[in-house]
Amino acid sequence: MAIIRGRGRKIGAGIFTASMADIVFLLIVFFVITYNVEVDHTQVLLPKTMVRSKIPEHAAFISIDKTGVVRVSTGKEMSLPVGSNEEVQSFAANVVAENPYKEFVIKADKGVKYEAFDQVLDALKQAKAKVIYLLSEQKTVDEAN
Amino acid sequence: MKIKKKDVESEIFTGSMADISFLLIIYFMVTSVFSATRGLDFQLPEDSSQTPEIKQEDSIDVHVMPNGVLQVDGKAMPIDQLLPYIKGVLKQNPDKPVILRTDPDATYGDMIAVFDLLRQAPTKIGMEIKTISIPTQREIQNVWALFGVH
Repeated sequence: MAIIRGRGRKIGAGIFTASMADIVFLLIVFFVITYNVEVDHTQVLLPKTMVRSKIPEHAAFISIDKTGVVRVSTGKEMSLPVGSNEEVQSFAANVVAENPYKEFVIKADKGVKYEAFDQVLDALKQAKAKVIYLLSEQKTVDEAN
Repeated sequence: MKIKKKDVESEIFTGSMADISFLLIIYFMVTSVFSATRGLDFQLPEDSSQTPEIKQEDSIDVHVMPNGVLQVDGKAMPIDQLLPYIKGVLKQNPDKPVILRTDPDATYGDMIAVFDLLRQAPTKIGMEIKTISIPTQREIQNVWALFGVH
């Protein structure tokens, strides 16, 4: 569309798009750097905590959903459900045998019975795991008070 | 007769680059998950056979009951009184460990709430709890078995 002003002078009304490709590339670089492949898609309601430490990349994952179903992943592939506590222990023992300092992340629903978490923790202790992270969300100051 | 060759311009066609880039952005936005990547960390003893056994009377016993009710050293206590009580005990003995036991019928969230509070001790009461032990039911039963309790 052309707008005619004054003595018939035409001014083109367009959107300047020359820098769009640069902006889009910057966005792509951002996504490529921050992109994380999530190995576990279990839907859980995480507990909220004030104290939170950064979880190392490629840590082994153990998730417990609200019904108590346990899934495990070495951190490289997608998590798979396990049937018994012995399987969790066997999985943890294999991970520790491969890398004795491998970190384990427990992603458990805050509403799950403690007994289910206790069995997983016991399996990790028996497998001689060294560092465990309990996945949580940030608790705000308002929520803490 | 001189044949004039038609000039062919050598350039890369970049007209569709923005479209491709937008498609890539949409892909990354759809597949990337803003997941939680932080949590409460704790270290397990290197070798449990060499770890000295913590006796209940030499420690602060925090027992999390169902619905988040707390028993500290055998007495019921509101959660907001936990850290002031621990501060009083640590003033007498700064090395005293805390044993965090949880009833199997309590929820994982109940335990995490108390564990998070204990970890906040340096900022809330200005004293660090040097050892927080989370024994499993099997370990507790093993200790009871030593005393002949089944």
